Amino acid sequence: MITTRSTRLAKVAGVAAGAALVTTLAACSSDSPSGGDTSSAKLTTVTFWDPYPQYDDSSDWAKYVQACAPAGTTLKRTTAPTADLLNNLTTAVKEGNAPDVILLDNPAVPEAASSGLLAPASDVGIDTSGFDANLAGPGTVDDVTYGVPVGANTLGLYYNKDILDKAGVDPSTLTSWDGLNAALEKVTKAGSKGITFAGISGEEGVFQFLPWFWGSGANLKDPGSAQAAEAGQLVSDWIGKGYAPKSAATDNQSASWDLFLTGKYAFAENGSWFAKAASEQKFHAVMVPIPAKDNGAAPVPTGGEFALAPLQKKDSSAHYANAKQVIDCLVGKDNQVKTADALGYFAANKDLRQTQIASDKIWTPWAAAIESAQGRTSDLGAQYTVTSAAISTALQTSLNAAGDSGQVADAFKQAAQDAQG
Amino acid sequence: MVRPVGIQTPAPAPSLEPALEAQRAELGAAPPRRRRIKPSTWAGLAFVAPLVIYVALLYAYPLYENVSMSLHRFTRATFVTGEAPFVGLDIYREVIGSPQFWPIVRQTATFVIVSLVFQYAIGLALAVFFRRGFPLSGLLRGLFLVPWLLPIIVSATTWQWMMDADSGIINRLLGVVGVDPVWWLNADHSLWAVTIANIWLGIPFNLVILYSGLQNVPADLYEAASLDGAGAWRQFWSITFPLLRPVTAITLLLGFVYTLKVVDIVWIMTMGTGTSQTLATWAYSMAFGKGTSAVIKYSQASAVGSILLLVALVMGFVYLFVQRRQED
Repeated sequence: MITTRSTRLAKVAGVAAGAALVTTLAACSSDSPSGGDTSSAKLTTVTFWDPYPQYDDSSDWAKYVQACAPAGTTLKRTTAPTADLLNNLTTAVKEGNAPDVILLDNPAVPEAASSGLLAPASDVGIDTSGFDANLAGPGTVDDVTYGVPVGANTLGLYYNKDILDKAGVDPSTLTSWDGLNAALEKVTKAGSKGITFAGISGEEGVFQFLPWFWGSGANLKDPGSAQAAEAGQLVSDWIGKGYAPKSAATDNQSASWDLFLTGKYAFAENGSWFAKAASEQKFHAVMVPIPAKDNGAAPVPTGGEFALAPLQKKDSSAHYANAKQVIDCLVGKDNQVKTADALGYFAANKDLRQTQIASDKIWTPWAAAIESAQGRTSDLGAQYTVTSAAISTALQTSLNAAGDSGQVADAFKQAAQDAQG
Repeated sequence: MVRPVGIQTPAPAPSLEPALEAQRAELGAAPPRRRRIKPSTWAGLAFVAPLVIYVALLYAYPLYENVSMSLHRFTRATFVTGEAPFVGLDIYREVIGSPQFWPIVRQTATFVIVSLVFQYAIGLALAVFFRRGFPLSGLLRGLFLVPWLLPIIVSATTWQWMMDADSGIINRLLGVVGVDPVWWLNADHSLWAVTIANIWLGIPFNLVILYSGLQNVPADLYEAASLDGAGAWRQFWSITFPLLRPVTAITLLLGFVYTLKVVDIVWIMTMGTGTSQTLATWAYSMAFGKGTSAVIKYSQASAVGSILLLVALVMGFVYLFVQRRQED
């Protein structure tokens, strides 16, 4: 009696479980073809990816982007950290569900383009004219232009005027490495701390190292040069002499900025995106261009994202038409400054940038820096990633060497080998 | 462990025979019934199906993909073009032949072994300590679980701050006793820094498992031992430690597997720079093109992943072997 009932129960339950499973699987499999069939309906949604997780759905940036949705469509924005966005895009293109528009960090553009993840701007119809050549450079790979900068940022040398005044340092001497080192010696002798910068492993640390690297006369095509080692020696000595915190080897740009905001450090190498924050401190923070080894300003790397249309396998023309409209809306002449302002960036078109800079005097010292800034990938294209990794390793070794010139020299010799791939 | 062979071969303990008889009687009707009633077999299969599909979909398939990826040369472009040439064991040869491989293996071994030894020793000492039971011991024991409950992003960041070379509290404390400050997170010391943090993280796990193991040691053994004049030390080595052996084996095995695949705490503290690079963080950095490996290396990462899997598997067999020997 009991056994028969339990068998029947088992049978029913088993069949039910099996049926449930089959329906689930069927639902799964029926999903993909129907996605293809209803493609014309799908284009009422425009997907948009950016690397600004700090702006949530209720932020001004999110609303600003939403407003750029082409008529009759809604824009769905997704955000991921810079370091993850290219990987996410790789998977999405493979699965055939790439976003219509992506804002991608500029040094990642050549790798994305040469991996076939992006559609050329001419196919999409993006207007690529009017941008400064140095800022638009990373968008062109092997003579094909893929996208345009949504704005640009760069690095400068902030100083704490209160500390410099107290130590008797004249900021006008900060035009060479010797001048900067002399100032560092004076402020540390006067009881303050020296300089904060981000030497963290990876692209972020290399971005911060490039002004010293280029300022020494080194070239990305030869990371093993004597000049490159000199730049490594400069930052290595800062650690060795106690001018810079040892945590520089693991600090990212936010962490090193936080150290500067304690008001104990005389200098900070950091980005234009902190200019507004710098103007709101209790101490008087001023920005000067980063000095080159000998007199003058060092070339600084350009930062900021590019607006791009990823490769679409299906309904490409409809996707590209939407992408063009969104990108035009973000970087068109009427909105370019608004977009840049929303992100704390500079407009990438010189004339538009001049009106932007004129409207707020905290931008004034940055005008020259942004014009002389260099694209990180301009020399090497997709090969930059490998060289950057090699320089990152050499930089880490240099910071750990704390002034040991033998180790620094070896590290950059090794970098030259690593950069070969 | 159920050993079905025990039914045919002479059972080790004759006292088990009646129990087995009873069991056999219960199951007695099962085999013929199974042959007779086909639908129940189908029902049985249907019940098993979700599990089989789950295992196949979420364990076997990813495992197969991982191994397959390590035998094909994958690049970022592969995802678009689908061209991943089969290269046999070339990638394993490259990974093992690369100058980083053996240093990283040594670092991983140091990280795992030192972590395990200290986690286990400290966890056992605390478990024995709490066995006595004293006022507030429950609360105190609860507090020892905090490292386990805290999100690792919080504890790892805190360790990073505490180990700051210039203003970290650990160097301050060392300064009080006259020790020179240590640059904890630099290339040479970072392995020790992450190992210390990982030991701290693993103590609660060892404490909990060993403490519950201690509950199964009969109290009258200790009474008898103390009547025979055995001191606390003798009691520990002659009663506690031998009777905990099965629990020790599973604790160490699980600890080994957990420690071998630790990425988070190392990554947050040092991003795997310097000596703190382990096989797991190396695989992670290559798989996602982060930290010390800015260039994405899918195939190399999955090769390292397969090696890790193999090591963990070997440890699993060692555990089974040890356990079987204990049962015999």
